[in-house]
Amino acid sequence: MTLQEITRSSPARSQLTAGLRDILPLAVGVGVYGLAFGLLAAQAQMDGLQTGVMGTIVFAGSSQIIAVERLVAGAGAGAALLAGLALNLRLLLITASLRDEFAGRPWWQVVLGVHLATDENWALMHAMRARGRRTGYWYLVGGGLGLVAVWVLATVAGASFATAVPEPKALGMDFAFTAAFIAILRSLWSGSAMLLPWIGSIAVVLLAGLLTPLDPTWTLILGGLSGAAIAGVLGSD
Amino acid sequence: MTETWLLIFALAAATFTVRLSGYLLGRRVPEHGPWARGLQALPGCLILSLVTYLLMQGGPLEWAAGAASLTIALATRSLPLAMAGGIAAICLLRAYF
Repeated sequence: MTLQEITRSSPARSQLTAGLRDILPLAVGVGVYGLAFGLLAAQAQMDGLQTGVMGTIVFAGSSQIIAVERLVAGAGAGAALLAGLALNLRLLLITASLRDEFAGRPWWQVVLGVHLATDENWALMHAMRARGRRTGYWYLVGGGLGLVAVWVLATVAGASFATAVPEPKALGMDFAFTAAFIAILRSLWSGSAMLLPWIGSIAVVLLAGLLTPLDPTWTLILGGLSGAAIAGVLGSD
Repeated sequence: MTETWLLIFALAAATFTVRLSGYLLGRRVPEHGPWARGLQALPGCLILSLVTYLLMQGGPLEWAAGAASLTIALATRSLPLAMAGGIAAICLLRAYF
């Protein structure tokens, strides 16, 4: 797949536009969070340029929020970096599971694809595929491009017009992603083979959350890995 | 504000390293067998863990709104509708309870 092939009408191009279109409702949620992050950035004395650059080259919402929040709290850049990095360990599992999408692609497409991989477009790609749609690499990239554009615009706007930014919770937008991921899970459910792995994941997250002082990051990773391990050990090809 | 620039570039480098490492790690997993099955089941389990965690952070109101989202998702299979319904439900619940 070369650049020429992409610019002509091709499956790649139609997937790119489909990814862009399907990500819209999720992008609205990302936009509201972007405004809230911009507000935080303004508190950390960050200007529009810094906010825009950060959104573009980090492109990981929750880790940006925790890192800048640490900065505002006066924890120092080192502690802020560690907090942000810890929250991003989840991305390791996300890009690992994209193996087939990246197989045989040139390095620039791999670099672009992994950078644009976030919870939202990755989950959406899997959900739509489970429903029989043809979604692959360019669908992921289309969704990612839509998200990065909205994220950068919203965060810069939030940092620049900090006084007029609504609190996400006041709009019920804090629940936007929970609702979205519930809908995505419904699409990912493909039958009783998933029952035990899914029960395992829920149980691990509940137990770790209730009984251990583990950081949420580790709780999530443990839950995901436990379910995957159950599927690997008990399942059959 | 050089400390801020330093944080931005360091976090960008660290985040990209994590993303690329995942890809390199995934490439080493065999095509078939337990490891491949685990990798295939990983997306659903990870998203489910995330939803479980998010709902644990909330209370009965969030659980009810989650149930509303799930009901809409089961009935319509539409992501935008399930999102809008969940957001509307949580707004209503918070306003009245």
